Amino acid sequence: MSDRAKATLEHVTVVRNERLSEGVGRIVLDAPRCARAVRPGHFVHLRIDRDASELLRRPFSIHLAQGNTVEILYQVLGAGTRRLAEKKPGDTSMDIVGPLGTGWSMSDATAHALLVSGGLGAAPLGMLAVELARRGVAVVCAMGAPTVDRLVARDLFEKHARRVECATDDGSSGHHGFVTDISERLLDETAFDVVYTCGPEAMQRIVAEQARARAVACQVSLERLMACGVGACLSCVVTTRSGRKRACVDGPVFNAEEVVWDGSETPPRH
Amino acid sequence: MDLSVEVAGLSLRTPVMTASGTFASGREFADFVDVRALGAIVTKGVSFVPWPGNDSPRMAETASGMLNSIGLQNPGVEAFCDVDLRWLARHAPETPVIVNVCGHSVEEYVRVVGRLESEPHVSAYELNISCPNVDEGGMAFGTSCSGAHEVVTACRAATARPLIAKLSPNVADITEIARSVEAAGADAVSLINTLLGMSIDAGTRRPRLARVVGGLSGPAIKPVALRMVWQVANAVSVTVIGMGGIMSGEDAVEFLLAGADAVAVGTANFVDPTSVERVTHGISGYCRDHGIARARDLVGGLIT
Repeated sequence: MSDRAKATLEHVTVVRNERLSEGVGRIVLDAPRCARAVRPGHFVHLRIDRDASELLRRPFSIHLAQGNTVEILYQVLGAGTRRLAEKKPGDTSMDIVGPLGTGWSMSDATAHALLVSGGLGAAPLGMLAVELARRGVAVVCAMGAPTVDRLVARDLFEKHARRVECATDDGSSGHHGFVTDISERLLDETAFDVVYTCGPEAMQRIVAEQARARAVACQVSLERLMACGVGACLSCVVTTRSGRKRACVDGPVFNAEEVVWDGSETPPRH
Repeated sequence: MDLSVEVAGLSLRTPVMTASGTFASGREFADFVDVRALGAIVTKGVSFVPWPGNDSPRMAETASGMLNSIGLQNPGVEAFCDVDLRWLARHAPETPVIVNVCGHSVEEYVRVVGRLESEPHVSAYELNISCPNVDEGGMAFGTSCSGAHEVVTACRAATARPLIAKLSPNVADITEIARSVEAAGADAVSLINTLLGMSIDAGTRRPRLARVVGGLSGPAIKPVALRMVWQVANAVSVTVIGMGGIMSGEDAVEFLLAGADAVAVGTANFVDPTSVERVTHGISGYCRDHGIARARDLVGGLIT
């Protein structure tokens, strides 16, 4: 996987915070040091409120980095993200630790890449799509979401990918069903060099199996409950073929072949 | 400003150490703090053979704190020497390294200490007789006077280096345990380890931790920690290292006033990776504001 970056503690200013659909938002933060250092697949550890009884930071994938800003997609699931949704432009109350983690690995030999996202799993794939396209890689995206308005990164993917196919649970856009139906067909149609995926763990597991069955390399980005984010607390472990690894520094991106899908993890609701 | 203190015969540059299990062995924080400026580094718990730790979820956030149930996952003493000690010797050669030692049995504690005796970059041992997250060893030793006495006696026979016993708050009278480890030859006590707690998700009717119970840390436990440090400092004559929810320099000063000779910063490292430096600067600032020339003059300075 790609190299880690030097992380810093950085105070950030909210540039923009907008609602994308029911319970889903996008926040743009002025964070020059992080924006310069970040690579696709990295995350930031965001301190949302210094006065709340929730002390811990919340990890968020960096969706895009442009100039001095980084962009985060979030879903309102708990107290932290509820307060995040209320932040106004100009707010200077938050700080981040980042960029953190081991991101997506990109090989010069890659000509065709398939990106498979489920819901907010599109977040860490945003920067990746941009970077792959810049390198001349033919990118195909398969996106899944509950409804059409939750296909939150669609515009970005359509701008940078050769082709984008969507699936929704309610049939409001594209295929009426799972994104894994699309990824399976695409893998049969095209000889991809690599599959990158992020989304619900059950979905990633299916995508990883589809890639494995066709001998295509696959990388997954896993989410875990995290406390420190820098590799000290060992809260966020992922079971791998070489023992328990830390999602925060050894991941969040792992080679799918390495992951032991033991299903022991409940998704964080922060 | 003189921040230096004596801890179990060691001279520390500052009274601020790291709490075991919250700072790895320093490398993970090197982007954020100057590890050479710490009073001492207390490492993650080290066992003789690798321990896999507990199943996930291992962490749950609670009001003003968190529960953990890591279960002392560590790669064992050989890997610790090869990786962590080597890194520390290179990047923090002057900083005292206190190795937190754990075992499933008295013999395992002794074997870890025995293996580390030949390592020149180890300054002292902190005996972890208080981890609430393992079935054997850990807190099982630290919650009875006889168990605590037995571990300390056996390790005392294995080393002339300073021995620190880390005490569990999950006891009826912590001063009894403190007296028994003092009698067994401990040079210092450190307290408190985490308080046994649990968290339930009412929506799913399930515990939030895979092991159901875990150790509570953070500001939520600070009043309990201060009370116990004050009681223990009045009960023993060995060095007392205070910890439990220290987030700021002022928190640290409260522990010194209660009778701690030094302090350790734990959960705060997770919230703010620069915490150890911030707490150290905070103690300096307090001393300056209150006309105190030496931080050690604060120790036991509580006015009652």
